[in-house]
Amino acid sequence: MNDHVTIRRGQSHLDAIRLQYGAAIEDAEWQTENQVTVTVALASLPEVVETLYYGREGWLATIVANDERQLNGHYALYYILSMEGADRCFFVVRALVPAHKPEFPSVTPRVPAVVWGEREVRDMFGLEPVGLPDQRRLVLPDDWPDDLYPLRKGAMDYRTRPMPAAPAETYTFINEKTKTSTEVPLGPLHITSDEPAHFRLFVDGERIIDADYRLFYVHRGMEKLAETRMSYNEVNFLTDRICGICGFTHSFAYSSAVERALGIDVPERAQFIRSVAGEVERLHSNLLNVGLACHFIGFDSGFMQVFRVREKAMTIAEVLTGARKTYALTLVGGVRRDIHKAERLRILELVAELRRDVADILDILMSTANLEARTRGVGRLDPKIARDFSPSGAVVRGSGFARDTRTMHPYGAYANAPVVVHTEQGCDVLSRVLVRVEDVQNSLDIIEYLIDKMPEGPVLVEGFSYIPQRFAIGNTEAPRGDDIHWVMLGDNQKLYRWRCRAPTYANWPVLRYMFRDNSVADAPLIVASIDPCYSCCDRMTVVDVRKETTTVVPMKELERWGRERKDSPLA
Amino acid sequence: MFKLLREIVKTGDVTTRYPKKPFPISPNFRGRVEYDPLRCMACAACTIACPANALSMVTDPAAGKRTWMFNYGRCVVCARCEEVCPTEAIVLSGQFELAVRAKSDLMVTAEFSLVTCRQCDTPFAPKKEVDYAMALLERAGVNPHDLELRRVQYETCPECRRLNDFARLRETRLVSGLDAPAAALVADLVSHMAPLRSGAELEP
Ligand code: SF4
Ligand code: SF4
Repeated sequence: MNDHVTIRRGQSHLDAIRLQYGAAIEDAEWQTENQVTVTVALASLPEVVETLYYGREGWLATIVANDERQLNGHYALYYILSMEGADRCFFVVRALVPAHKPEFPSVTPRVPAVVWGEREVRDMFGLEPVGLPDQRRLVLPDDWPDDLYPLRKGAMDYRTRPMPAAPAETYTFINEKTKTSTEVPLGPLHITSDEPAHFRLFVDGERIIDADYRLFYVHRGMEKLAETRMSYNEVNFLTDRICGICGFTHSFAYSSAVERALGIDVPERAQFIRSVAGEVERLHSNLLNVGLACHFIGFDSGFMQVFRVREKAMTIAEVLTGARKTYALTLVGGVRRDIHKAERLRILELVAELRRDVADILDILMSTANLEARTRGVGRLDPKIARDFSPSGAVVRGSGFARDTRTMHPYGAYANAPVVVHTEQGCDVLSRVLVRVEDVQNSLDIIEYLIDKMPEGPVLVEGFSYIPQRFAIGNTEAPRGDDIHWVMLGDNQKLYRWRCRAPTYANWPVLRYMFRDNSVADAPLIVASIDPCYSCCDRMTVVDVRKETTTVVPMKELERWGRERKDSPLA
Repeated sequence: MFKLLREIVKTGDVTTRYPKKPFPISPNFRGRVEYDPLRCMACAACTIACPANALSMVTDPAAGKRTWMFNYGRCVVCARCEEVCPTEAIVLSGQFELAVRAKSDLMVTAEFSLVTCRQCDTPFAPKKEVDYAMALLERAGVNPHDLELRRVQYETCPECRRLNDFARLRETRLVSGLDAPAAALVADLVSHMAPLRSGAELEP
């Protein structure tokens, strides 16, 4: 595996942990020049991850569990860290979990960022994180049988859905602040309901004390589907559908992961075309969120104007790929269509128009008194909390950290592109809006640069050989932060394991801290500032901790209150 | 406020008259799949390429038919089928209106008759595919005698061809020179192949 890698970044981190942990560091293998996987003794896992995370400027990319019983008789855990100080690289800490004793020491007490990952590993693989304080399921529904772990090899067919094992929703929403765990009535959410997210706010009057929420109601089982049914070059079209807004960047990250695992040299022109498409997607998505911010502060004319202008970004995508969304552009080895002269000129024309339109609209938006009044100081994300949980995109950049995988671990054609990683220090909703506003303008510069500097040549390589059990990471900067894909190749042109982590997965855990001490009326604005797929958040339950009452506020009513700020539905 | 009003006045009306007027699309737009059964030869390349399983084929050996099936409801409009189709029987059009009244309207099927194997009488390959291959050879200038030999070959099912190949091999030293256990193994293999070919259950 090491033979095709000559430059090896991450050596300094390896030396440091070898010095500190000695024999616990068992093995190191480079997958690419900036990806190294280091196997450590299971008992030392928490300490090693903590040292890398807090001691050597590591941030959490994601956790991957893998059922490697057929390969080496064990389950394997991969803690992927993005090293963002000196000696930048992806440093992966791997530990083997014995098949007969499926448990591992939880890292969460030392590094809170891994909490969701460890909960998911327990759900999907049945590996018990010993010492993990949160005993609740994350991904699986309450009525899922106790001993069925969907991602274990051979556990189940991807098409079957087991019979419900529990009659009702049993999930407990936890108020961490005052520690009173509230009994949750079945309330607004029936177990068969398909509402994709449910929020529970613990309030004192109108002030939010803490918040808890549950997601994954529409988990689509894509990782399982890809592993069992699809060949590696079909998965591109599945990854396109991970998100309705930013799907392309997933297929970009996925293809990169496979290409890196196989050591495929992707033609430069293909990388430029991919990067243009990725930047177009960032552009329209960031515009969308700026539009939504207008909507939530009650400035609907601004919302309409932004959406009118955004349409040009959609047209660029259509010219470039043949579709406004779901571009179906990448294959492993390159892209499926070239950019010809007429398209090039049309794109440049649209970019120039957009630059003018965007400037006008942003000028109007920034001079709207309501924007600042409604967003400054709202939904504060403390930099310390951000450091603990590794959020990404505008969420972390609004709190002062210049995290951006385009510059941190350059991919595609970004190495020389004029990427400006704008940060703000306000830590509030306003800061996150401002980051996106800057990103919109920067995306236009990047698109122009890439179109201008695009080298001639082929756009696709074929005829590489497919080697099972190779693995690597693919990374891209989506509009909401970084996408991380980890792929291990398998037999028969299939994937052995594919793990995809979208940025919002990294951003949800900090949301509860952003809610605290804000007014309930600002809740929609705060949620919108992490830019999740908003249609998901349909209604919310408010629990008054003093009066011990529970009120259900429909989303429409909450939005209206947020905009008008009168006739509180809680009164 | 003034800036906004000015922008609104400057922009004017942006709403289009769709559906009264057609909506313009880009030249490369990937729209609804259009299928021409007359061009199709049931080669199955598209059904293998389709990532969404929108395209499929079933063979009915008793009726000597193979049915090509397309489900618009599963199609993700990726154009992989268009890329692989050798006869341009599938192209993606500029149409984007896909709504239908009945779910069954989303299904398209086409039936193709199969050639039966000259040796074992099992229907196996679409007739049009064999004809297409022959036409290609003819156009490439293959002489009539060789062409006829090829036709015999193309009209023999893969299993029979494998048996033929083996029979030919047995004549050569490659097999006759084998030591006893190896020869027994090969003989055993051959005896298993015959029932397999006719679709009978393999004896345990
Ligand atoms: S366009 Fe794509 S999804 Fe649709 S039939 Fe063709 S290959 Fe299948
Ligand atoms: S690839 Fe073309 S010719 Fe072959 S089955 Fe599909 S549509 Fe017919």
